[in-house]
Amino acid sequence: METLVKGGGLIVLLVLAVLFPQVFANPAVTNYGILALIFATAAVAWHIFAGNTGYISLGQAVFYGSGAYAMGVAARDWHVQGTSVFELLPLSGAVGAAIAIPFGLIALRVRRHTFIVVTIAVFFIFQLMAFNFWFTGGSSGLGSPFLSWAPVPYNQNFYYIALACTVGSVVVAWLIGRSRFGLQLRAIRDDEDRARGLGVKAMRVKLAAFTISGAITAIIGAVWFYYLNQVHPQTGFNPLFDLTLVLMVFLGGFGSISGAVLGALIIEPLTQWMNTQPAFSGSISEVIIGAILLLVVLFMPRGIVPTGGEFITKIRTRGRPAVIPATTIGPASSASSASSVSSGDAR
Amino acid sequence: MAREITQAIVNGILVGGVYALMAVGLTLIFGVLDIINIAQGVLVILGAYLSYSLFTKAGIDPFLGLLITIPAMFIIGVVIHWAFISRLRGGERTSMTLLVTYAVALIIEGILFKIYGADNVQISPKYVNSSVHILGFYVGWVYIWGFILAVALVAVVYVLLYRTRFGRSVRAVMQDETAARLVGISVNRVAAFTFGIGVAVTAAGGVVFGATNAFNANSGYDLISRLLSIVILGGLGSVGGALGASVFMLTMESVVTIWQPTWAVAVYYAALVIVLVYRPTGLFGRKAVRAQ
Amino acid sequence: MGANLPWFSKNAAALGAVALSVGVLAACSSSSSSSSAVSTTSSGAASGSSSAPITIGASLSLTGDFSTDGQAFQKGYNLWVKDVNAAGGILGRQVKLTVLDDKSDPNQVVTNYQTLINTDHVDLTFGPFSSLLTGPASAVAARNGYAFVEGAGGAPSVFDTPSNQADHNTFDVSLPVAEELMPFVSYIQSLGPAKDKTLTAAFPSADDPFASPPVQLAEAKLKALGVQVVYSKVFPEESSSYKPQADNVAAKKPDIVVLGSTDVPTVAAFMSEFAQDHFTPKMFIAAAGPDQGAAFTKAVGAGNATGMMVPNGWYPSYNNAESQKMVSEYVQQYGGSASGVNADVAEAYAVGQVVQQAITANGSVDNAKIISYLHSGVTLQTVQGTVKFDSLGENSSAAAFVFQWQNNGSKYVQVLPTGGVSVPIIATKPAWAR
Repeated sequence: METLVKGGGLIVLLVLAVLFPQVFANPAVTNYGILALIFATAAVAWHIFAGNTGYISLGQAVFYGSGAYAMGVAARDWHVQGTSVFELLPLSGAVGAAIAIPFGLIALRVRRHTFIVVTIAVFFIFQLMAFNFWFTGGSSGLGSPFLSWAPVPYNQNFYYIALACTVGSVVVAWLIGRSRFGLQLRAIRDDEDRARGLGVKAMRVKLAAFTISGAITAIIGAVWFYYLNQVHPQTGFNPLFDLTLVLMVFLGGFGSISGAVLGALIIEPLTQWMNTQPAFSGSISEVIIGAILLLVVLFMPRGIVPTGGEFITKIRTRGRPAVIPATTIGPASSASSASSVSSGDAR
Repeated sequence: MAREITQAIVNGILVGGVYALMAVGLTLIFGVLDIINIAQGVLVILGAYLSYSLFTKAGIDPFLGLLITIPAMFIIGVVIHWAFISRLRGGERTSMTLLVTYAVALIIEGILFKIYGADNVQISPKYVNSSVHILGFYVGWVYIWGFILAVALVAVVYVLLYRTRFGRSVRAVMQDETAARLVGISVNRVAAFTFGIGVAVTAAGGVVFGATNAFNANSGYDLISRLLSIVILGGLGSVGGALGASVFMLTMESVVTIWQPTWAVAVYYAALVIVLVYRPTGLFGRKAVRAQ
Repeated sequence: MGANLPWFSKNAAALGAVALSVGVLAACSSSSSSSSAVSTTSSGAASGSSSAPITIGASLSLTGDFSTDGQAFQKGYNLWVKDVNAAGGILGRQVKLTVLDDKSDPNQVVTNYQTLINTDHVDLTFGPFSSLLTGPASAVAARNGYAFVEGAGGAPSVFDTPSNQADHNTFDVSLPVAEELMPFVSYIQSLGPAKDKTLTAAFPSADDPFASPPVQLAEAKLKALGVQVVYSKVFPEESSSYKPQADNVAAKKPDIVVLGSTDVPTVAAFMSEFAQDHFTPKMFIAAAGPDQGAAFTKAVGAGNATGMMVPNGWYPSYNNAESQKMVSEYVQQYGGSASGVNADVAEAYAVGQVVQQAITANGSVDNAKIISYLHSGVTLQTVQGTVKFDSLGENSSAAAFVFQWQNNGSKYVQVLPTGGVSVPIIATKPAWAR
């Protein structure tokens, strides 16, 4: 019964998402949808790796930009025209995966803060390669092939492509979450050494998640490149990209797929929309966004989804006798895993 | 060639001093509080603007003005910690502080833009371009003062950490927060003070950065990634390590620039990755101050 | 982590996200609804009544990396709007300009222009600042059939975009960048081959599509004249410090320094380093920075500015009635002196003038007519001089001048090409003010 309702709810969501550009056909509105879905895909991809393993990666832009550049180079050198560019998307995924393997083999040998900095370092190396290599167009960047769609169908088509990517990545993330593979990832998150001791092949497992995450991010990077028609080293490899992803996921709730999606769907349209209001344009919008973030963090420190879940549970269980979950007071990481009822979703 | 390399090394050491000033605060905060203070870059700019205003409006020499700006930044740091960071609890604190410090950075940047506008400024006291002739080339006085300041500050912080009671409590919290609490250390107060000190030191970084670069409110973004890498390379919580790592970073870049400026930064980052893979706690970090 | 989160809370959160997003977007698109018949040739909605204002939309970098220039551009656009409205508007209609901040971010630029065009239904669009942002923005305009006149996207990558190749809607009123150092090259040539062979030159340049093309071209030409190239390297736009590069240049003691800079901080850093190295080049020309008026002198110190040269298509003392009027209005409104006016202001003002002349000639605000008019080879007058667009949309009649700061940083004058109103060039830069 529960699964039926759960499934039904998700189908309703999907139908709403599909109908959205038909109802709101204005390109300015669908544009929000496109950008939000692009970030939602990237956020779910980030979650697949970082949310499950607990390794905070600030290097996803490496894949995003590489996917974009791979498409640009391929389209230019193979003289791809028009809509056949979309056939190249799987290639960008392959490029992302190919980069993730050596990247992961190096970076995943270290943990925690060191890992974060290594991902930042690799990011800058890639940005510089985009500036300096002969085939990347240098500081002038690359352009994408011309798509002759009118504004409304242009945005609608990109919307559905981005939606497909988001749905695809959510499905992948969900499947991983339910599988033994996902269990191994979360074991690494809880306590890597203990997981190792229990027989989890940590490096292989981490690398697999890292590669999947990289492939998805590369694909959505290529989609973004086609949408914007141009990529430059500073925009394809944008240092703020990863920070934005992290914010989205933490805002929504670290460790859950719906948290990642929710965070992206809130932050991206909100920040974009704010700058289109002349009253907020300029430095005021930064102050406002900063203030909003602060308020959310102070009142919902674990993110919206977990706090929202807690809140709803509180309402549902009002009047019932209090149940005291068996929590243990210990080091930070296992404390939050023990408070199982109200913490982030396992997915 | 030898002369060029010598000059490049000297350059690296001197500019490394500038970056060390900015990184010392960050490594303290990082090491003690276990939070990545994304706002550090913009706080440096705030310190630079404070010195700039004191200099242009009241004619106070930027280095002397430190007597005002360092306490001012200390108070700002303590307030930020009390208002936002101390309220975060629980296991996700590390991650949430990333959000909080980013939010604080946005707010400070927006305010600075509003007050000072977008034009680039530079702190230019009379001696900003004077230099001294040694070893066949010129070395700017500002860089020398900056380097001396960096060493002095590192020494002061070192003494603070290793020779005072307060320093002992800081190191205790760094090693094991729960145990520190059990022996009666007021962790919250230590945290607030450490954050304050970490921010206060950026006032010094701001002065030297502002005297050697034209800056505006946007300049903080480029800084933070470099500062983060310096701090990790040096070893979390190691103040001397921050100085060593920044000198290493800038010297490497400076020497490579003789041949290939476009690759200099990439070479540094590649070297960083190699070092970190073999020594994850950094060049001078203690072996697992916090469990890796 | 806790696998037993109640289904409802999980789905409610996601549902809430969708509802929230839908709500926000529906609210902000209140003026558009589903009237989605946006044809590719029409400009904004029926602004039939002759008293309805002409609406213009633009996105500028008011914050972010390009904020100094973005804000200067905004002042230029605003000045033009003020002047046009004071003179009775265009075709008897007042002009209303909306400027949005794009934070120097391409995603935001695309959102801004789609909002301006599809939600606010502006009649016309003006360009943003920087070649980086003009590409994606012009693609949006091209899809919607809008003319895209801009003053700050001069790199070849702007005109090579597939959308411009297809729709030819992008027009840059300013000087195409590649040739801008030619007057300086001609000046060196005029010194005679014997003198040229004795000169040494350094060519440090930022890795940027605006800065490196002119510097590289200048290097090739000067080398052909017999000048010795002692330093020629490209450095990253965002270096942790320009000190090493500047020191390396100073160590070679070149007579001429041609710096490929894109903003004031780069030039200021090189100047400051040269001062510390006790090195003064005889001639020092930078691709950008010294043309930003007060923004430049404030950062480097007026005394040091003397002798600094920069190529541009315009300067505040330009002997053109409209330009002079614009400069005095600017000083009146924003303070400072004439030589403190940023060249971006003139670029922005010129954009407005070009569009105004196109509308007046056509008698309508129809974008398709504007595009074909501007491509018809007509010559237009602006505060920056004459404007005539080639098939790509570049201004082929723009003349490059070289300007120099003189008189202790208080005078910004044209020195090249010689003749006309030009002032004698300070052939040897005075030593740095200490």
